[in-house]
Amino acid sequence: MPETQEPRTAAEPPGSGTPAPTKLSIEKLNVSFGSVTALSDVSLDIADGEFVCILGASGCGKSTLFNVVSGLLKATSGKIVLDGQDVSSRPGQVGYMLQKDLMLPWRTVLGNITLAASLTRGATAQDRAEAAELASRYGLGDFLNHYPHALSGGMRQRVAMMRTIAAGRQVMLLDEPFGALDAQTRLGMQQWLLQLWRDLKRTILFVTHDVDEAIYLADRIVVMTPRPGRIAEILTVDLPRPRPLEVLTTDTFVGLKRQIMQHLYH
Amino acid sequence: MNIRFGAAAGPFMIWVVAMVLILVAWQVLVWVSGLPPYVIPPPALAFQTLFDNWPRLSVLTGQTLYETAIGYVLGALIGFLLALAMGQIRVVQRLVMPALIISQAVPIVAIAAPLVIIFGFGITPKLIIVAWIVFFPVVVNVLDGLASVDRDMLNLARLMGGGGLRTFAIVKLPACIGPLFSGLKIGATYAVTGAVIGEWTASSKQGLGTYLLTANAQMNTAGVYAAMLLLTVIGVGSFLLVFGLEVLMTPWRSRSTAPAWAQWKPSQPTS
Repeated sequence: MPETQEPRTAAEPPGSGTPAPTKLSIEKLNVSFGSVTALSDVSLDIADGEFVCILGASGCGKSTLFNVVSGLLKATSGKIVLDGQDVSSRPGQVGYMLQKDLMLPWRTVLGNITLAASLTRGATAQDRAEAAELASRYGLGDFLNHYPHALSGGMRQRVAMMRTIAAGRQVMLLDEPFGALDAQTRLGMQQWLLQLWRDLKRTILFVTHDVDEAIYLADRIVVMTPRPGRIAEILTVDLPRPRPLEVLTTDTFVGLKRQIMQHLYH
Repeated sequence: MNIRFGAAAGPFMIWVVAMVLILVAWQVLVWVSGLPPYVIPPPALAFQTLFDNWPRLSVLTGQTLYETAIGYVLGALIGFLLALAMGQIRVVQRLVMPALIISQAVPIVAIAAPLVIIFGFGITPKLIIVAWIVFFPVVVNVLDGLASVDRDMLNLARLMGGGGLRTFAIVKLPACIGPLFSGLKIGATYAVTGAVIGEWTASSKQGLGTYLLTANAQMNTAGVYAAMLLLTVIGVGSFLLVFGLEVLMTPWRSRSTAPAWAQWKPSQPTS
């Protein structure tokens, strides 16, 4: 459906045959800092409603890629196309969430969730009601008036996720959001995120260095390798959804894992 | 200056115990030293003098309190606004910082004399001296608060479409409240010293500082101690007042949930 208005480069591959229309296109991205090449010729099409994991060791340019896609960082060359519009270097077009929860300690859970509204036009009673509804539906209902310091790390990440959702962007960039959590909490958060994603039908780009996490969550996995940061391989995860925890031990899962490990640690 | 009072023990009891200890130490010093009352008056005599001269001393206390309070508010306000300007505009910070440090390096007693020459014997030089003492810790702490805001937090605000003014009001300004109070608490105990120095230099209107000088010259040692007690009360009172304000204005530091008036309730979604 929304083919780009501007002429597309012919070399652009389609999103691995997914039927959904393209939501976000990363086109021939190159980023260098002085003589160091951080990203080299990165191109990727992401379908509407798709869950894509970007997997790679540190230094492979994952964060640089996110900074460019979010508009915080200007690419040396290439562009970012969202819904057919060139959004390169235009911050505020996509949602963004980091490993650091970045809670404002003086705002309650509700105040933190409605942050985007407060920052742009001032939060209204309706914003608050909607945020409360969202938070209640996903297990934060009893903590709306709590300050962040009174919450656990996992709950703070949930609030950060709610805040990203409430900001209303259709594409969300999640940069190792569960990286600081312990393994148990992490697994719970992954299931929680999948539930959210299924309900809200947003498009998610998820950076991680955890192979299991990537396979469990993603429709497709983009494996990146460092020096210079580039895409080594794109794998489609053929696991049915919803995914119970048992998929973690299926042959498909283990096979994918082996395949990815070969790219990461050859 | 990071004072935390035990929640259960009760801050009031701690203060009572501390004051009793000080009075006991004072009395013991008098006994052990064997010095006459005109050198070290016992606590009872100091309090006696205080109560006997209360009509006069209360007026003097009022005057000193007035100078302290106005100077304090002025200094805090100037310090806060200056720090905001310095934090937002780097050139201002570069230009002003050396001047600020120099201003604090000059002994306050040395500044008092020229101020009297310029502004006369009235209240102005006292206010300037008090403000001079108070504004520095406020500036330093608020600047620290502004600098402590996470860069990623500012990036996030930008990505959420936050404009400069709203981002400042929502992300940066509240980050200064805690540090501001750290500065204000330091200033609260120093401010009264400024007022006394101002009165010592020259005064058309009597305060506790001028009374101290007179009492000292007349060998009225008990009077000196009475004035000292009152000045201490002003200092401690200011500190406690600021501390109370801090607790009220930074509920997220002491509570796990928002105070009742700031809570969101489903039935009546207001403000």
